[in-house]
Amino acid sequence: MGDANRYPELRKRLTPGWWTANRHYAMYMVREWTSLFVALYSLIFIYGLSLWAAGSRADFLNFLKNPAIVGFSLVALVFTMYHAATWFYLLGAISPVKIGRSKTKPWQALVLNLVLLVIISYVAIWLLVLR
Amino acid sequence: MRAETHKVARLHAILWGIFSLGGMIAAFLLPVLIYLTAIAYPFSLWPFNGAKDPSFLVTGHLLGALFVFVTIAGSLYHGIFRFQSVLTEVGLLKYRRALEAVGYFIIFVGIIILAYYLGTWYVNGTIR
Repeated sequence: MGDANRYPELRKRLTPGWWTANRHYAMYMVREWTSLFVALYSLIFIYGLSLWAAGSRADFLNFLKNPAIVGFSLVALVFTMYHAATWFYLLGAISPVKIGRSKTKPWQALVLNLVLLVIISYVAIWLLVLR
Repeated sequence: MRAETHKVARLHAILWGIFSLGGMIAAFLLPVLIYLTAIAYPFSLWPFNGAKDPSFLVTGHLLGALFVFVTIAGSLYHGIFRFQSVLTEVGLLKYRRALEAVGYFIIFVGIIILAYYLGTWYVNGTIR
């Protein structure tokens, strides 16, 4: 007996366009595809460091000022922020905190973590650049 | 057989744990790194409107190098892990093993190269 007969749900294979069926699926897919920009930015940064290692510090800095890299990075920043926001919302949905009789809502986790993101970013800049 | 299943389950738990940690790193640390390298530096905005530039972030002190390593390695792992997973949901499920192999190869090589550059610069004194 094959898997499809033993487990009928296995017959329901997802079609490549299943995520276009409704808005929630589409937003899920957009959220997942933001990971491509997270990964590509990381690889591009490593490539920039390799230019520095093989040549000079100026090569790395010129690479960062390349219009194509700046353009891609700006798009990557938008998607990274979207990734961060959806990740924070997801955290609130998966593990709500119980306070008294009520539980925290996902949007509260989103707001709290966005505030944390701003604080962490400022502290990072202060520690790594300004100090 | 059962011990083997437990080993696989434990490995999956570890990989998903690293994935979650990478998600936190990408959410909290990657935006500021992209801001510094892609906006502040090219457009001479705060905090790079003075004498410093992003190379200071990498080699200015050990904490900066650690920040770069954790942010890039964590984001790379999270991004590739999630992307190869989403590809299996858009019709490439039958290539899952190959996608995983390519994904882990990119993660492994990327992190090793990053660690090599930063480690070399630390040893030869470029990182102060």
